[in-house]
Amino acid sequence: MFTEPFMQRAMLAAVLLAPLCALLGVFVTARRMAFFSDTISHGALIGVALGFLLGFAEPTVPLLAVSLLIAAAVFWLRQHTELTTDTIMALLLSGSVALGVIILSLLKIRPGEIQRYLFGDILAIGPGEVGLAALLCVLVATGLLFDLSPFSLLTLNEDLAQVCGVPVRRMNFIFVTVLTLAVAVSIRLLGILLVTALLVIPPAAARNLSRNLRQQLLWSVVFGLAGGVGGMAAAYQFDVPCGPAIVLMCVLFFLFSLGLKLSRRGDQPTADATR
Amino acid sequence: MHTVAPQVSLDARAPVAVHDLHVTLGGVPVLRGVNFQVPAGKVVALIGPNGSGKTTLLRCLLGLQKFSRGEVRLFGQPDLAAVAARVGYVPQRFELERSFVLSVREFLALRLKATRHWFWQRHQHTDERLRAALEEVGVEKLFDRPLAALSGGQIQRVLIAFSLLHKPDLLLLDEPMAGVDLPGEQTFYDVIAGIQRRHHLTVVMVSHDLSMVYRQADWVYALNGIICCEGPPEKVMNADSLKEAYGIHVTPYHHHHHHGHPHVH
Repeated sequence: MFTEPFMQRAMLAAVLLAPLCALLGVFVTARRMAFFSDTISHGALIGVALGFLLGFAEPTVPLLAVSLLIAAAVFWLRQHTELTTDTIMALLLSGSVALGVIILSLLKIRPGEIQRYLFGDILAIGPGEVGLAALLCVLVATGLLFDLSPFSLLTLNEDLAQVCGVPVRRMNFIFVTVLTLAVAVSIRLLGILLVTALLVIPPAAARNLSRNLRQQLLWSVVFGLAGGVGGMAAAYQFDVPCGPAIVLMCVLFFLFSLGLKLSRRGDQPTADATR
Repeated sequence: MHTVAPQVSLDARAPVAVHDLHVTLGGVPVLRGVNFQVPAGKVVALIGPNGSGKTTLLRCLLGLQKFSRGEVRLFGQPDLAAVAARVGYVPQRFELERSFVLSVREFLALRLKATRHWFWQRHQHTDERLRAALEEVGVEKLFDRPLAALSGGQIQRVLIAFSLLHKPDLLLLDEPMAGVDLPGEQTFYDVIAGIQRRHHLTVVMVSHDLSMVYRQADWVYALNGIICCEGPPEKVMNADSLKEAYGIHVTPYHHHHHHGHPHVH
């Protein structure tokens, strides 16, 4: 399986991106930003369309650029209008999908070609994508290593964090930027429709098994990694798109953790009562 | 009843001094020239109807809200960040996301410099300190429980423990009674009173709960865009001055004990 270079790259990307998204996902779900991630990934369809329009061999650059623009648009509209964040994101999501599809159909791109972006493609992972994934991993790992405490406080309550001296605005900006880039890069692996799953399912599975944040972060990374690697192997083995394979693998881990939680609950009341 | 004359100079040492504070939110003037001062060691309550600017005023004290005119000084310092370590803050009850499993121990550890990088590392010394903080508010049993699984009253107590970890001189409480279940109220009063006495704290609290204010405060400011009146609770909390602040009819209400005890209807 690993003799072919494209498969080595795809597996490496999965090993890097799946735990990265799982780790970010703990904070994304805590801050109810799953829909934000969906907005970014769907907006990326414009990036894909622009890639074709401008004749890029791989649309990674326009994809990243459009994602950052959409993220900026969310915050600009939130500042300058009275609209709720939900409305703003729904507007940008549907608007950018519509624009992307119109450009793609005017360019007469085959549906099969577009599907690679909707559901992920093993072959799409080039050395550039792997490098970017590695860079993001290093950034997030060092960032969390040094600032996990203030960032957790910020996730809990921004006012309290600011009073305690946390640089709230700067940290929010860095978080949103890193999240946007992580989503944009993961699109090649997971696909526009499924990338949010990698941010949501591993933390949810981890939540089932955790009684504190340390456990949730560790389990989330474990589930993300296992889902990414397992899904990638299954995609190769059964010749199916890798996005759905990874997501299904994550769902299986979620069901497993749910089963564990429910079976533990049988003896938990007694354990709690003795506290 | 007193009318507040604009103060010319601010007390250099007062824990809180506010002079001619103006705040406009979304084009609406919320604070229109507020003056007030809190002497050390006193419990001061800010009362007023919804939209009277109580929380906005508190946010100005915390440096969370920009103001268009006026001056705010804590311990004589205009730079609030410089005195942040002397200030404890208990926010209004906020919604906790159930999918985020921060434990009480982890939450308290977020306040300590020693555990900054790896807050989950257990050190006997820090654990003892955190347990002592919980003991002080009567919830040491919650040490390893997830924060999101606690009741409103338990969360308020944990928040108070958090605010006390740095041994502040000034404690700012935003609606401390919100979300506290009725049977817990009585003991909750006593917790705050006990802490204030033991630590010689200066306390500023925003409260809707007039009976709490009546029992606890040394001095009351009734706010409605400006300070309408101020004084000791038994003086401010009579029908006339409350009517002026709240703009509605308020009847003094008699409890089993003999003094009048105003309630808002």
